[in-house]
Amino acid sequence: MTAAVEFLTVSRHFGTVKAVDGVDLTIAEGSFFAMLGPSGSGKTTCLRLISGFEKPTGGTIRIFGEDVSNTPPHLRNVNTVFQDYALFPHLNVRDNVAYGLMVKGMGRTARHAKAEEMLALVKLDGYGDRKPAQLSGGQRQRVALARALVNEPRVLLLDEPLGALDLKLREAMQDELKALQKRLGLTFVFVTHDQHEALSMADRLAVFNEGRIAQIGTPQDIYDRPATRFVADFVGSSNVLPPELTRALGGPTQWASLRPEATQLAATGPVQGTVTALRYLGSGTRVVIDAGGTEIAALVPAGQPVPAEGATTAFAFDPAALHLMEGS
Amino acid sequence: MTAPAILPARGLADRLTGTFWRRPGLLLVLLITPPLLWLGVVYLGSLAALLLQSFYSIDEFSGVVKEEFTLKTYAELFRAQNLDIIIRTIVMAMAVTLACAVLAFPIAYYAARHAKGAWKAAFYLGVMLPLWSSYLVKVYAWKLILAKEGILGWAAEGTGTGFIIDGILSIPGLEGSSLSTSPFGTFLVFVYIWLPYMILPMQAALERVPNSMLEASADLGATRGQTFRTVILPLALPGVIAGSIFTFSLTLGDYIIPQIVGDSSRFIGLTVYQLQGTAGNTPLAAAFAVVPILIMLVYLSLAKRAGAFNAL
Repeated sequence: MTAAVEFLTVSRHFGTVKAVDGVDLTIAEGSFFAMLGPSGSGKTTCLRLISGFEKPTGGTIRIFGEDVSNTPPHLRNVNTVFQDYALFPHLNVRDNVAYGLMVKGMGRTARHAKAEEMLALVKLDGYGDRKPAQLSGGQRQRVALARALVNEPRVLLLDEPLGALDLKLREAMQDELKALQKRLGLTFVFVTHDQHEALSMADRLAVFNEGRIAQIGTPQDIYDRPATRFVADFVGSSNVLPPELTRALGGPTQWASLRPEATQLAATGPVQGTVTALRYLGSGTRVVIDAGGTEIAALVPAGQPVPAEGATTAFAFDPAALHLMEGS
Repeated sequence: MTAPAILPARGLADRLTGTFWRRPGLLLVLLITPPLLWLGVVYLGSLAALLLQSFYSIDEFSGVVKEEFTLKTYAELFRAQNLDIIIRTIVMAMAVTLACAVLAFPIAYYAARHAKGAWKAAFYLGVMLPLWSSYLVKVYAWKLILAKEGILGWAAEGTGTGFIIDGILSIPGLEGSSLSTSPFGTFLVFVYIWLPYMILPMQAALERVPNSMLEASADLGATRGQTFRTVILPLALPGVIAGSIFTFSLTLGDYIIPQIVGDSSRFIGLTVYQLQGTAGNTPLAAAFAVVPILIMLVYLSLAKRAGAFNAL
């Protein structure tokens, strides 16, 4: 099977700034792929390289096996949901959605029928006559989605599409997007800086840092076995152990990560610390221990005794859960 | 001792801000009354007085204004000689507006979408600089430029392109001994003088079109030409209309340029000036002054019906 999108050592340099630097990437057809990273890490530039708004300064980009490095955006069978939605303010919702068909020369009746079909798909039937300014943020987002899908793209790009929505709406849209992707069987490429969003939605994800991919894999890979300290830090919630601490705990002198779920409190152990914070989560209590300057979080399941703040405690863990990382 | 919940008012200023805070309507009324009075009494009031004047008439023997309501003065507008003036003015205003729009668009587009930093500053300076110098000096300068012995004629002779000027001057309606005495010269000077008023609103409108909108259009399969027609132009249209209101109404009302450059044929502005001053026929002057107002109202309602303000 050919990959939907393929990057072969792709670079995009702006003068001395290496926005994207030697990225290799394969996105399988029909998958939900997330690009995760802090702002300025190159994830959005990668998306723009796929859509054609940026040209690579090095390397090759293939979409379904075809080299598109010199293909302008309007000739790529790829559509984008923009971060600010970029709906045309002078057109009503129906004409916004039908825009892609209009520029292809489809007749008015046919394209309006197709637009209504798309609006129904995103549950906005009956909104065709409104102007974008009359819609809420969530509704605009759906219009942008319908507009991008009307051309039946083979790859749909989403640039932080949920960033402007409030938490509740964002969670609802996450589920809907995922369901839509499954139903249509399309390849979705999703850019986000929200690790929870990426982990919960993506089949595979790439973590970007300074123009390069720090790690690429399934959400489980990334969460359980972060390849570098950066990934562990950015994806969060894992304990990051400096080399000395790893050694004190019986491992090699190397950075390591340890999930809080795999960490238990113990009466004795090689490393002791002071309890600095307690957070009750319902299913358990998250206990933060200061072990010589490094904060270690442990999850105490409900029903087990929880130490008081300021108490001294040691901790234990399943040695298999200690994950060693590259780099210093 | 605990601190009091309410701090004591320190003098008049505190009490005043307190009053305004409790009654925000009072502050609004105080702030908006003076400009509203200016707009209502001085501005619209004088316009109403003008309208009123246009319904009076002049006694043909004594030359005294009869303060009686009549439509006689308006009927005078339809005399062949007066109708000529109105049509000539409208044609000139339309030509000037069209030429300004065509010239201004690429300039405004470049300034809004491509110019950055120093280039942008240079653009603003270039557009605004002519506005800082005297209008009369510029018009007289153009008279010299366009004169038979002027720099344009000299350059045309030197490059052997004099036939172009001769060709323009032989077009019926544009005849003259040189460009400075031809209606075409009047047109050129109008376009030069009013161009900044077209560029600035256009540039402001184009600047407000976000880049992502153009990218969205290309993303959906539109070529550059299609994006221009279906996205950029409709979004820039309110700016074009605003600019054309300036160029159109300024041309309708100007009475200096046609006196200095051209074949001395009369335009509305010049006619109003002469009727008001030498002829003392205030009612007819007022009736003439109403014509541009009516034209602008018709123009704006047509523009609105054509959807020019849909993007607002």
